[in-house]
Amino acid sequence: MKIEGTHVFNGPREDVWDMFYDPNVLASALPGAQKMEMVKEDEYKFDMNVRVGPVSGAFTGEMQLENVVKPDSLTLKGGGKGAPGFLNGIGNVKFKEQEDNTTLMEYEGEVNIGGALASVGQRMIDSVAKSMIRTGFETLDKALAARLAAKETGAEAVEFKAPTEAQFAKEVAKDMVKMENWSAETKLVLYIVPVIAVIILLAFILKSCGA
Amino acid sequence: MTESTISKSYKRNEDPRLLTGNGNYIDDIEIPGMLHVAIKRSDYAHAKINKIDTEEAKKMPGVVAVYTAEDLGDYWRPGPLQVPPPTVIKGSIFHARPLECIAKNKIRFSGEPVAVVVAESRYIAEDALDYIYLDIEPLEYVGDLEKSLDPGAPLIHEDLESNLSADVRQEVGSWEKAVAEADLVVKKRIVTKHVAGGAIENRGIVIQWDDSFKVLNVWATTQGPVPMRNSIAKYLGLMENQVRVMNPDIGGGFGPKIMSSQIDDVVIPWIAMKLKKPIKWVEDRRENFLGTTSERDQVHYAEIALKKDGTILGVKDEFYHNTGAYNPYGMTVPLNTQTHVISNYNIPNYFTRIIMVFTNQMVVTPVRGAGRSHGIFVMERLLDAAAKELGMDPIEIRRKNILPPESMPFRTGVIGQDFVESVLDSGDYPGALEKTLEAIEYEKFKKEIQPKLRAEGKHKGIGVIMFTEGTAVGPYEGAKVMVGVTGKVNVVCAYSNQGQGHYTTFAQVAANQLGVDIKDIEVVIGDTGQWQWGVGAFASRGMTLVGTAIHNAAVKVREKALNLASKILETPKEELELADGVVRIADLPEKFISLGELAMRANPTRGTVEEGMEPGLEAASYYGPPHGATGYGCLGLILDVDPETAKVKIERLVIADDCGTNINPMIVDGQIHGGLQMGIGEAFYENLVYDDYGQLVTASFMDYLFPQATDMPAKFEIKHIVTPSPLNPLGIKGIGEAGAICVPACFMQALEDAFEGMDLDITDSFMSPGKLYHYVQKAKGA
Repeated sequence: MKIEGTHVFNGPREDVWDMFYDPNVLASALPGAQKMEMVKEDEYKFDMNVRVGPVSGAFTGEMQLENVVKPDSLTLKGGGKGAPGFLNGIGNVKFKEQEDNTTLMEYEGEVNIGGALASVGQRMIDSVAKSMIRTGFETLDKALAARLAAKETGAEAVEFKAPTEAQFAKEVAKDMVKMENWSAETKLVLYIVPVIAVIILLAFILKSCGA
Repeated sequence: MTESTISKSYKRNEDPRLLTGNGNYIDDIEIPGMLHVAIKRSDYAHAKINKIDTEEAKKMPGVVAVYTAEDLGDYWRPGPLQVPPPTVIKGSIFHARPLECIAKNKIRFSGEPVAVVVAESRYIAEDALDYIYLDIEPLEYVGDLEKSLDPGAPLIHEDLESNLSADVRQEVGSWEKAVAEADLVVKKRIVTKHVAGGAIENRGIVIQWDDSFKVLNVWATTQGPVPMRNSIAKYLGLMENQVRVMNPDIGGGFGPKIMSSQIDDVVIPWIAMKLKKPIKWVEDRRENFLGTTSERDQVHYAEIALKKDGTILGVKDEFYHNTGAYNPYGMTVPLNTQTHVISNYNIPNYFTRIIMVFTNQMVVTPVRGAGRSHGIFVMERLLDAAAKELGMDPIEIRRKNILPPESMPFRTGVIGQDFVESVLDSGDYPGALEKTLEAIEYEKFKKEIQPKLRAEGKHKGIGVIMFTEGTAVGPYEGAKVMVGVTGKVNVVCAYSNQGQGHYTTFAQVAANQLGVDIKDIEVVIGDTGQWQWGVGAFASRGMTLVGTAIHNAAVKVREKALNLASKILETPKEELELADGVVRIADLPEKFISLGELAMRANPTRGTVEEGMEPGLEAASYYGPPHGATGYGCLGLILDVDPETAKVKIERLVIADDCGTNINPMIVDGQIHGGLQMGIGEAFYENLVYDDYGQLVTASFMDYLFPQATDMPAKFEIKHIVTPSPLNPLGIKGIGEAGAICVPACFMQALEDAFEGMDLDITDSFMSPGKLYHYVQKAKGA
């Protein structure tokens, strides 16, 4: 399945790229992420918990970063497997500077999901993945705002609040209700975008851990 | 005179027991010390297995053993073909690739078993599945029927040159000649979709190895106890009488439970013997969706050649048939399609070709309908398309070509699933059509009602289609009838009952000869310890084949009873009658001997007997027809469609059906009701969907939608026609699949009629509200 999506970060490209290399920020933006470690340059292992409706369980996975052009673009390949099934994906991410001092993040790729995650979680996966990406980006937006504010005041500490698991669950429930009115195409896009985004975010965390 | 028990709607003998919760289903069976199995299944659709690591799972507390194909050693081997290929059809190709019940070197579909966990409880066994690690190399998925044969397509069985599973061509007359003489040839690409059997009870098995008596007791939900027994005996090197396969009560079969030589009946008995412990496995719903067989996936390139007046000159149908990852069930399904394309009409020239392909999907075996609905769908859609081209009414083109009653028996020239020529044995096909048209008031609807509705902007459509139902195929079934010393009667067979009412209908057949109350007849079905021979419940053959065997056996028992009573009562047997559980002198009813007393005397314990004497009031009989008996009928639907929401309400449903003698008309109606519900599901609700990577994305009842009671029409209006089959003494034909095979063709015709002028041109057997909405939008834009 082909995917694509965009997100606008309210800040300059360099700052956005740097933020992605702050492991504290990114780990908190990802519900379920447990542990990440660098195996070697641009290659990582991760553990995370996934819950999609009745399907839940631990995932372990690997990820490779390729074609890293700071602060412009990168390609990531990755996959994980666990009791709930498996997930493989490849994605290309680009950061574009915009005239109003914002950064446009563009991503496109292909994802393949299998096992109970696909066969039983199918109905919920749209909503869960959508919520994951949305809350993930919301967290990052806040983090970026906090970082920029800190930069301006010269303060070191960056304060922002990541969503709790309970808040996340509430968001999922909200999204599932909203989904009823959405077209199949919207759902299809939402189904994949978040999954890729999760991988992307993980990749960045790992990258930053390594750096 | 004894009253006949045939063609009467007795309430079912089994219902008080089942409805009060006293049924005994597979999961109700508990044996002290019993262990439980959970099956690890592949998440991948196509992959090479490097290693399966079970060490961690084995270490879990409560886990008794874990087995993979490697652990089975020499015991691992691909299963037998459950159905052989049709060698009688000249030039046919069939690459036999029977089921590998547990994957060894390669995974060929998502859901394929790769390991078995045996544990003290099912909970522990299920948990242990998470600690089995697969080291595999994913391979490219093959799921598209047509592309599966592309040069360079990944091979599902590497020892074959391509993914071609079979290629079978049959021709009656000459299609080329038909084209040469035709005024018009209409071509269509027609697709039939994948549906599940979806029985309320999943599959299951309980195995107990009795090490002192060296007997393997097997309780299984199988539709074919004798073939399963034979498969188990052969695998384990046991004699048939060392393996006793018993059916508990079964909550629905619908086809997929016919399969044996799967992981449950190959691997679990081996483990039970090894561990010397009873073992239970009951499939869960997800396993049922992923790993149990299903069908209906075909792509047809169909053509019909006609004269200007609508006379059919010929039909050509080349179709791809998806057999899934293996082909253990031979060609039953596509052969049924070949016979059912042409079976209502006079089609002098017919060319048909099956291109059966392997895909990385679940194995395909029959689901109630088994290829029939696909054939009917193709022919009826072709006729509708031809009628449109010719500017004819769809009914007129059918009237013009329908086989007349005087053509019966009609030899079709096409070899069917039973490897003999399909012969339409009896019936009044035009009668069924006219009866349906009259009941649904076709003329009135088209001429008076519909124009008014159209003027009001309403979209109601009518559809009327014909179908045949090839049933009651061979090779044979058998049964034993025995009068006991209590006077009660025992009817024993190794058929299988999943809810068809056999405990009642089989009793009716025996009671009819023996003059006993049907409640005094105990029917034993599906116990190979009590009866050794038989084939199984498929192709709507139980009533016809087992029923006829019971009838024949009961006639013999009756003769035995009369002969013995004649001696005891010192009266010629012509003057005797069987009634009320006794044999009595017809003119002197107070002079009688009870059947129980006769049974006692039929087993003399001292003295001598005449040469050739057979003890007991007991007889066995076997019945095998020369070819199947063919039921037929006509379905009419009026659909009310909301063009904005694409919701469809079935306003009327009329079905005329002829299944020969109705042993129990109430049960016949029940079969039609259940079938129609499945047919409605196939047309508008149910669809198994694989994604682009071979993942089944409809593996729960959240995503695989069954029609509900509220989706049914208020009434199924059934019109019976009874033309007894000349093939058997009671004149029976099967009825199990009629309702399930006729709906999609009629549904699509009615939808097109509801949007007349929009040219929906539906060539797909499945139409969900979402799809219908898009069809309507597309047609509007056109």
